[in-house]
Amino acid sequence: MTPDSGKRTRRRLALVWLLCLTGSFLAVAYPLYVIRPFRAQGPQELAVALVVLRFRPAIVVICTGAALAALVWYWRVQTRIVWRLLAVAGTALVALLALAARVNVYELMFHHLDHPEFAAADRVKLDDDEKVIVVKIGDAARAYPIRSISYHHVVNDVVGQEAIVATY
Amino acid sequence: MWTRDVAGLRLTFHLAGINNQNFLMRDEETGSYWQQISGVAVSGPLKGQRLTLVESDELLFATWKAEEPSGTVLKDVQAFSAEYSPKDWDVKMRRARTVINFPEHGMKSRDLILGIQASEASRAFLYDKVVKDKLVKDHVGMEPVLLVVGADGQSVRAFRDRIPDTAGAPEFYRLAANKPGALLMDAATGSEWNFQGCATSGTAKGTCLERIPMLKDYWFDWRNYNPNTTIYGKSQ
Repeated sequence: MTPDSGKRTRRRLALVWLLCLTGSFLAVAYPLYVIRPFRAQGPQELAVALVVLRFRPAIVVICTGAALAALVWYWRVQTRIVWRLLAVAGTALVALLALAARVNVYELMFHHLDHPEFAAADRVKLDDDEKVIVVKIGDAARAYPIRSISYHHVVNDVVGQEAIVATY
Repeated sequence: MWTRDVAGLRLTFHLAGINNQNFLMRDEETGSYWQQISGVAVSGPLKGQRLTLVESDELLFATWKAEEPSGTVLKDVQAFSAEYSPKDWDVKMRRARTVINFPEHGMKSRDLILGIQASEASRAFLYDKVVKDKLVKDHVGMEPVLLVVGADGQSVRAFRDRIPDTAGAPEFYRLAANKPGALLMDAATGSEWNFQGCATSGTAKGTCLERIPMLKDYWFDWRNYNPNTTIYGKSQ
């Protein structure tokens, strides 16, 4: 490889990293920026953020794969240790973003219930003036105390024969 | 409260985000995003699909337990119970700031309202006024509605203000004395009615009024999804 072609190859690989880093960063950061509490969401930006969220897993996998491939190639054409280490760091950053993309901060903060447990009404310790959200389906009557459902926000349940989601 | 069965699938929902302080859910099965208040999928493979509303009430525990002694109650999850809300959480939340505001007709963003959609119309009933009035006879569009406050002074239910199979307006009024199991009487049949909207005496005994879905919400949230809403309890 001539010095010039080597330089061109390294530049192209650097561009690949830059694109992967930018793509992964935007895939993680844009939805986090738009969809956050105490910020007004406009309909268009929300729609874009939700589309990004939907395709985010594929975006970060592709970017991580491309960054790794670029790293392998770069390692072969670059002999200077400083640049090699920078390349490793850049690839590691893309991989970290891929991990961050798997995190749903809302689920970390508020734990939805997929397998809720219930007790008989006369066995729970609730004050008479506690507020509850109640539902009755057929003969099955269910109450969800607001103090707990306002934390979990989402309770996937089956009442009688009907699968319902209690939300608050 | 929504059903989880839609488009031939049984969905499992997770909290996924927030949209102007009304939260978004995501289902595991298709990755679609759903708006909590409307039950509509706003993004993803099921976009446009609508969950079916499940009738529910917000009551005081004692009121509900008296009606449903065999009912079951969601247990606390011990790992998170220290973070659960205090009893007056909804009162404290009234002071929290909002990101969208609709200061029309003197309404404050976190005024508590009881929202009803019927007959292609929507109407917000100021909660404090309903509780004070104890019995509200009104219309939402062409639909006659009756809002009844329970004996506990806080629980509210909404019914269609018509007795099934009986012509004309029933003219409900609140019983002055505290009679167990009877809150209202109607002038049309002379029957007494309980908080579940069922007649416990008189010629209508055994008949129950049709329930109308009602949502207890903050004004800003209701107004955001019901831009043409009218308001009971405020001059417009």
